[in-house]
Amino acid sequence: MDCIITIEIGTGSIRVAAFDLTGELLGSSKGSYPTFHSRPDYSEQDPEQIFITLLYMLKNFLNEKIYPKNHKVVSICFSSAMHSVLAINKNGVPIGNAIVWSDNRAKKEAGDLRASDIGKQLYQMTGTPIHAMSPLNKITWMKNNNRELFEAAHKFLSIKTYIIEQLTGEYVVDYSVASATGLLNIHTLQWEDLALERAGLKKSMLADAVPVFYAPKKLKRQYQTSLGLPENTKLLVGSSDGCMATLGAGVWGDEKATVTLEESGAVRVVGKKVLQDEQQGLFNYVLTEGCYVSGGPTNNAGSAFEWFATQFGDFKKVFDLEDCIDDLLSEASRVPAGSEGLIFLPYLQGERAPIWNANARGSYFGLNIKHEQRHFIRATIEGILFAFYNIGKTLERHRSFKSLSANGTYAAYPLWTQMIADMFNKPVSVKLNSGPDSVACGAFLVSATEMGLFDSLEQAAQKVKLLENFHPNGQHHETYMKLFAIFERLSTKLFDEFEAIAELQQHS
Amino acid sequence: MNQYFLKKDCKELHAFPHIIEFAVKKNNTIQFGSLAKTAQDFFRVYYVIDGRFDWVIDQQHHIFYPGDLAFVLPGQQFGGERDLLDIGTVAWMHLGLQEFDSSGKLALGKWSRLTDSECRSIGQILVMNNCAALSKMKDAGALFQSIQQEFCNQEIGYASRINQLVEELFILIARQLTQQNTSRRDFPQTFMKLEQTLREKLSHQWTVEEMAALVGLGNTAFSEKVKSYTGFSPLNYLINIRISEAIKLLKRPDVHVTDIALDVGFYSSQHFATTFKKLTGYTPSEFRKKNTTPTE
Repeated sequence: MDCIITIEIGTGSIRVAAFDLTGELLGSSKGSYPTFHSRPDYSEQDPEQIFITLLYMLKNFLNEKIYPKNHKVVSICFSSAMHSVLAINKNGVPIGNAIVWSDNRAKKEAGDLRASDIGKQLYQMTGTPIHAMSPLNKITWMKNNNRELFEAAHKFLSIKTYIIEQLTGEYVVDYSVASATGLLNIHTLQWEDLALERAGLKKSMLADAVPVFYAPKKLKRQYQTSLGLPENTKLLVGSSDGCMATLGAGVWGDEKATVTLEESGAVRVVGKKVLQDEQQGLFNYVLTEGCYVSGGPTNNAGSAFEWFATQFGDFKKVFDLEDCIDDLLSEASRVPAGSEGLIFLPYLQGERAPIWNANARGSYFGLNIKHEQRHFIRATIEGILFAFYNIGKTLERHRSFKSLSANGTYAAYPLWTQMIADMFNKPVSVKLNSGPDSVACGAFLVSATEMGLFDSLEQAAQKVKLLENFHPNGQHHETYMKLFAIFERLSTKLFDEFEAIAELQQHS
Repeated sequence: MNQYFLKKDCKELHAFPHIIEFAVKKNNTIQFGSLAKTAQDFFRVYYVIDGRFDWVIDQQHHIFYPGDLAFVLPGQQFGGERDLLDIGTVAWMHLGLQEFDSSGKLALGKWSRLTDSECRSIGQILVMNNCAALSKMKDAGALFQSIQQEFCNQEIGYASRINQLVEELFILIARQLTQQNTSRRDFPQTFMKLEQTLREKLSHQWTVEEMAALVGLGNTAFSEKVKSYTGFSPLNYLINIRISEAIKLLKRPDVHVTDIALDVGFYSSQHFATTFKKLTGYTPSEFRKKNTTPTE
């Protein structure tokens, strides 16, 4: 039987999945690699380790789950995390590690640019909020602070570009990943001169930007042999994880939005128009020509809850976080919506959309003598989801939507999904628990559309089966809205105090 | 408690060439110079029964309360903060080690029945955690007490018993060290620390047992945890790191292929070449050739 393989190069791991041509999941596998923090603001990954992890995983996966069943691989589609940068020398060899999205070293470069007129112009042109995450600011940082590396750099690549080059010998970057660099003009789909100038780059120092359906040269002979793949296996450059998750969640058109709940998270919509947010708070990434995934990211989703669980949960077994989380959630479900007036600001790692404040910090507000430990648990989850609602509200100023589709690890917890439905006062659908994750599903749809199994991505998105609807509870919604008003005010009112405490923490 | 003191030349210690000194001391007076800072070539372990002690170990100042334990590795300095023994009760033992070096290589000697790999793991834990103070060590207090009783009574089998108790003390210290220094909750963070250690000593022939010991888990639990967190068995994860480091070195023209193999922990260049080719389809030298010439 013919099958399609999807490969996600995520923030901390490679995920490989296989689908038959009807979209049924045949199997999946995961292999992780570390993120190094050699300084507090630094987040780096080793491109060679990512590449080897991918080869190792893929080889094992094919040998264990695909070849024994006589499946034939016809297409392989890639997706990856956004915003990574890797410098290579003239021999194509990496100079140091790849800098990943969570790296904050370029915060000064980003701050300066954001406040300037050029910054406003660049946001309009590139669709990428001016932030330390974007390669535009990271490369500017290198130019200003690591001259030696900058001079030695022949090209600046995304991690996915590097991996595809290793496999095929061709330097390409898809429009989605390219549009998250802050260097691509999303209206013309060309590298933007004004951005290149700011970062001190020439066009030749970046990979060629190509559509998500683009097929690079075939796999190098050596990898055909080691992986056991035929010469004519088609590789597709694919898209970013954010765009894939949106596509794979079946979101298309003006009616729907998607909520992704992983370590970090995002709220996104798909449409033909770029959303021009005067606060520069929303991103607009290119899915295909003339089609944009717009929305806002948050830093503190699963990571904030896992922080809480690790610090305050009851670990009956050593390192058993899942068991601990299950206990916490059952405790939280016994607390009324709104946690009887306890509010959590989830900004443990600063915040991106919509407040874009790297100095923001976490806080519990409204504590009284009657609050118990379980109130903290529920308030923590509610606070994390208020931040999602806050992004959703900003989005709705530009485009309204009637329902949501939730995906990611934490969407599998009904307590979380129900809270989203109650806060947004809109129905929320999720995918079957046993099904593939949305990123893999999106990549499958890209491959299947490229093969002609669907007429368009729009038609493909409509084929995604969504099950299990969560309907909003009006009373809960009212409670949440009263609390959210305070949450929202606190998030901006505390600006000066956030700055003061962040300053103090930096020196302690 | 009575004063109890055995030194090298006491006949009670004749059956124990490795025990240099064993003491339980109740100290009532402050005497200047009674605990000057010195470095010795043997292993020292102190358990506080009563009182408060200000000690400096390896240039770090610690305060010890009842139930706390201090250990001093061969070559490290140890002494009172003011070069004196504070008032209180303390038990200690000085122990000669057959082999010990700063990389964590440890052999206790013929008297011990710990296996070579157990000793290696304990040695690594002792050097790597870089911590000389352990708190809440009541179990160690019980061991000291049992050792003292065995010495006093000298009943049948006491020599074997004492050696077993000393071994047990080593095991207890190693376990407590890993538990005190790794969160029992945050596996990602713990694994990150382990991964860093593996990278720092990549040429070492790591066993699963050694890695598990550093994390403070049993072999099976450790392998399961690593597999579910990384997708790889511990040894396959290690091969991953070895090949990734090898790739980086192959892309630099100045290191010899044989040296690369050994540096990253393959036991021969043959073994390296086979593993490398299986995964990448290239031999190391083909791979090097391809990556040291300009592209385009």
